[in-house]
Amino acid sequence: MDGLEFNGVGSSPHRLEIMEKVTGAAEYIADLSRPNMLHAAITQSTVAHAKILGYDLSDALSVPGVVCILTGEDFPDGRMGAFIKDEHAIAKDKIRYFGEPVAVVAAETEGIAREAAKRVIVKYEELPAILSPEEGLAEGAAIIHEELDDYIKVFPAISSGNMASYTELNEGDLEAGFAQADLIVEGTYETAPQAHLAIEPCGALADIDKQGRVTLWSANQSVFRVQANVCESLKMPMGKLRCLTPRVGGGFGNKMEPHIQPLVVQMCQATKRPVKMILNREEDFECVRARHPFKVRCKTGVKKDGTIVAREVEVLLDCGAFGDDSPGVLGYSLLMCLGPYRIPNSKAHGKLVYTNKLRFGAFRGFGNPQVAFAGETQLDQIAEKLGMDPLDLRQKNLIQPGDPWFGGGKVASNGLQECVDKARAASDWDNRKSRTAPKGKRRGTGVALAAHISGLLGTGAIIRVFEDGSVALNTGAVDIGQGSDTVLSQMCAEALKIPLEKVSLASPDTDGSPYNWGTTASRVTYTTGRAVVGAAAEVEKQLKEHAAQMLECSEMDLELRPGGIVGVSGSDKEVSFHQISLRAHWAAGGPIVGHHTWVFNQPTVDPKRAVCSGIPFPQVGVFSFGCLIVDTLTDEASGKTEVVEAWSAVDVGRAINPSSVEGQIVGGFVQGMGFALTEEMVWDGPKLANPTLLDYKVPTTLDTPYNIHSIIVEAAEPDGPFGAKGAGEIGLVPVPAAIANAIADAIGGHVHSLPMKPEKVLNKMLEIEDAT
Amino acid sequence: MLTFMTKQDFHKPTTVEDAVTLLKEAGEDARPISGGATLVALMNARLVQPSRLVSLSAIEELTQCTHQPDGSVRIGAMRRHRQTAFESDLKAAHQVVSGAASQIANPPVRNMGTIGGSISFADPAADYPPSLVAANAEIEIAGPEGRRCIPAEDFFLGWYETALEPGEIVTAVILPPVPASSIGQYEKLCRIAGDFALASIAMTIDFDASNTVSTLRLAVGGCGGGPVRVEAAEDALIGTKLETDAIAAAAELLVAELDPVDDVRGSAEYRLKVVPRLLQRAFNNLINIREPAQ
Amino acid sequence: MSQPVTLTVNGKANEVSCGATTTLLTVLRDTLALTGSKRGCNQGVCGACTVLVDGAPMRACLTLAVNTEGQSITTIEGLPEGGDLKPIQQAIIDSDAVQCGFCTSGMILTAHEFLQRNSNPSIDDIRTALSGNICRCSGYRKIVDAVALAASRGGA
Repeated sequence: MDGLEFNGVGSSPHRLEIMEKVTGAAEYIADLSRPNMLHAAITQSTVAHAKILGYDLSDALSVPGVVCILTGEDFPDGRMGAFIKDEHAIAKDKIRYFGEPVAVVAAETEGIAREAAKRVIVKYEELPAILSPEEGLAEGAAIIHEELDDYIKVFPAISSGNMASYTELNEGDLEAGFAQADLIVEGTYETAPQAHLAIEPCGALADIDKQGRVTLWSANQSVFRVQANVCESLKMPMGKLRCLTPRVGGGFGNKMEPHIQPLVVQMCQATKRPVKMILNREEDFECVRARHPFKVRCKTGVKKDGTIVAREVEVLLDCGAFGDDSPGVLGYSLLMCLGPYRIPNSKAHGKLVYTNKLRFGAFRGFGNPQVAFAGETQLDQIAEKLGMDPLDLRQKNLIQPGDPWFGGGKVASNGLQECVDKARAASDWDNRKSRTAPKGKRRGTGVALAAHISGLLGTGAIIRVFEDGSVALNTGAVDIGQGSDTVLSQMCAEALKIPLEKVSLASPDTDGSPYNWGTTASRVTYTTGRAVVGAAAEVEKQLKEHAAQMLECSEMDLELRPGGIVGVSGSDKEVSFHQISLRAHWAAGGPIVGHHTWVFNQPTVDPKRAVCSGIPFPQVGVFSFGCLIVDTLTDEASGKTEVVEAWSAVDVGRAINPSSVEGQIVGGFVQGMGFALTEEMVWDGPKLANPTLLDYKVPTTLDTPYNIHSIIVEAAEPDGPFGAKGAGEIGLVPVPAAIANAIADAIGGHVHSLPMKPEKVLNKMLEIEDAT
Repeated sequence: MLTFMTKQDFHKPTTVEDAVTLLKEAGEDARPISGGATLVALMNARLVQPSRLVSLSAIEELTQCTHQPDGSVRIGAMRRHRQTAFESDLKAAHQVVSGAASQIANPPVRNMGTIGGSISFADPAADYPPSLVAANAEIEIAGPEGRRCIPAEDFFLGWYETALEPGEIVTAVILPPVPASSIGQYEKLCRIAGDFALASIAMTIDFDASNTVSTLRLAVGGCGGGPVRVEAAEDALIGTKLETDAIAAAAELLVAELDPVDDVRGSAEYRLKVVPRLLQRAFNNLINIREPAQ
Repeated sequence: MSQPVTLTVNGKANEVSCGATTTLLTVLRDTLALTGSKRGCNQGVCGACTVLVDGAPMRACLTLAVNTEGQSITTIEGLPEGGDLKPIQQAIIDSDAVQCGFCTSGMILTAHEFLQRNSNPSIDDIRTALSGNICRCSGYRKIVDAVALAASRGGA
């Protein structure tokens, strides 16, 4: 059949929800309301580390219109956390970062709630604030989590004192590897905290029924993680909470784990009224989560001919006040720190340290962009010393089809070579030195390679055939704007050979949807797509069972025909899904429902190859690859750099919806460009100094090149749905590194810390001038 | 339904005198509001809670830009940045002001913000203050005692502080006549498009027949509590042909008077380092602009 | 204290009760239930609340509702005419220029006003016009292309 005609796989139909988004009708959490609804606001702590001695609520309660105020004393002692269950729903007994919610106020209007929240008085006994991992590890440092040893951990965590976790991976013989090297380069590289800055701030709305069962809508990336986190922290039975989602205004990792959902649910239970809370932009900056700042020490040994023989990477991560996704970020960054290269002798190890700062957590790339910045910068430094072309050096060491990943995990599909070849050709890399710069500017071209996974954990899909022969698809995957609703529907349409409009997509609902860990880890297309294909196969089987009886033939002789028809091969005998479904509903067999669930089960580590400890993900994912080349101009007067053009070749296995894949590549590029050049959360002592869009700057149209070329490479993943693997993060991963290498090409030296703001680049230029 | 806890009132007078009276009546917590771009943002953040708001948007006089017979230009306080950026009456050295206006924030905000509102707030990293100092502008102020004019240089007193007395409002900015041969230029360094300046350089300059600098006014923004103008630095360049050494000498005199602080946009150290380089580039650009014409 | 104010929104006069410091965005969203205008930052930076006031793009979050009496306000809900999408809306659809959609209303209104003034814009003109509207998803490319597409079709 012609998949394109039916808007199936490989075509780019418009988003299912496009009409509501261009007319302003799409409803996000802030747009929802319920009759008799209360509005809630939080009081935030004004200290970073303290014991809570008590509360004075009298002034706040005196504000007319205030209905209820809850503090830590009103919350159960449940703890939540993706890897380490170390976090209460609200500060309880202790404050662990500046801006942490300490009280929730519900009132008849948001204005009243906010006014009263300002009047809540908390009495503190201050403790020394730990504001960096180094301070946290220092002897005699104040302990942030006294009960760390007793916390539940979902992986074999190595933790003590303020160290939340330690992870290590070893392959080959590191010492012997470095002994073979003709050249060893070592450097340290640092990255700054980045804010996700989904344009929609976090929010939640809860309502309670007469049986005391709560329904919760929220801005989220997984209704199932919301349910688990709320129930763990509030010690609620999971059956008492139903989680739903409106449209979500961007996530990027920020909305995967909880934000204020537990607070809203607790307030709803306390007042027995609907409660809504929407964070303002400052609160969203100060008390949700951000990308980890990394310190990376990277040491690489090479032979004269450019063959890499050894690498050691050591990372130090600021965890912030709570574990959240941090152990995963630590482990994943170490797993990815060699890049897509054959390096026989390697060691990667790192520490994650609690500090009295906002929690750091998942953010598109999940630690990979940070280690890629270190590793890919260092490769360029090696190429310079060896007098090699940076791309030739990489080419010499590329991981080859059939090679396993660091740790021994299987890499089934590998389109890296095609990515390199296509980006090299499209960017005219070999003639890059002939490009000229306008007066007062220096031109640079840089390259970086990347790999990323898609996978992880449990997923499912249910397809039901309606009486009229069309189908309902229910996966529980939250579309956060990237377009998964459309892509999953396309796969369902393709698998059943029906037009896209015959697929209706159910909104995620913890009551009725199959489990879906979440929209994260570039996983929905790959993992949920597989579930959709599996469920469609089950539906096809049931359809054929009916058809065989209706057409009096063997199931083996039946085929799906385009348009919702089952026919006998080599004959014009056929029945429609409609006819089959009527029979199934009213006469025989029962309504047709196909389902498929699975959990990603391919091991991360092969114990025969690697010695590892503290690994947070025993089964991580399949691999996507990318090659990015950027062209930049750096201003000689100020050091300010602009990206002029970019060529991003990405191996996505199969582009189910090519236009959406382009959206991911270009969108990821620009978010990575912000991380590389301008974005930086700055703390002034314990307090975040720039929690506003006036002070925290993301790229605008004028800071973004128009010419960002998406080059889609399709090396089919054998077990991927239609060969697809993830596309959500890979495009961002190499961006800071490629821009860093372009700047170095322009000015003759490498900046070792992000963001590469004008000041750092100018200082490097002046340092080079002084040296010559 | 909406409820409000503080007593506030809103007025929209049609004359400057009525506006001043309304502000005077209500005392210190009364605020004039022009475009709203700054004041409403502060109110949204609960940093300012005025007891009375006096909108200036219905005062016809404030919305005009007039070219006077003597060559001066009077820009009403309610002129929007977008209007000033495209103002055809701003020629020669006056373009230092339209150049600044065109670089404030972004198009929708330029639609809202006004010159009077911007300079009254006196953000040290804003674009108008150095440009008005370089243009030798006068600020016209109305208050309970009537109207007065003071030079822009005396208007900006430091961090968000101006010469406005309680109850006074800015009514206009007056740019003095300039020779047709003069040039006005505004150069801004910022992190991303539309941000406040890390540092900015505003200048008005003219040359004599022998291509020697005859007049020059130079002001730096973003490097202290207000725009910084150093006469000695200007003197070091007047009478020169903008030789590299002369620019360097002027830059040294200028930098000595800057008083930047570390903030989220950049460090003080960087600003001190970058201003001489921006200055050199600004003059280089100027030479490039003039050369093709000669 | 609240005072009655008559606001003309999408061609319809509405009497609303609102305080002196109430922003237009709050009235649109909370009183008139026109939630297509989004609150992203409440400081006038993100542009998600952009509406047209007497035809000019303004930040609804920085506009006092009382100050717009007598002016004509257009929100995303009022943009289609007689149920037909404006050319920029159709071009946004055809260019796949929407991801999460949170910035989309503001982008569309900004672009619509810009296209009315510029029927044949360059790519750089478009980039400048949209520079006050932040999109965190798309990287802008498809949005810029959509504006160019609408222009090439001769519409706004």
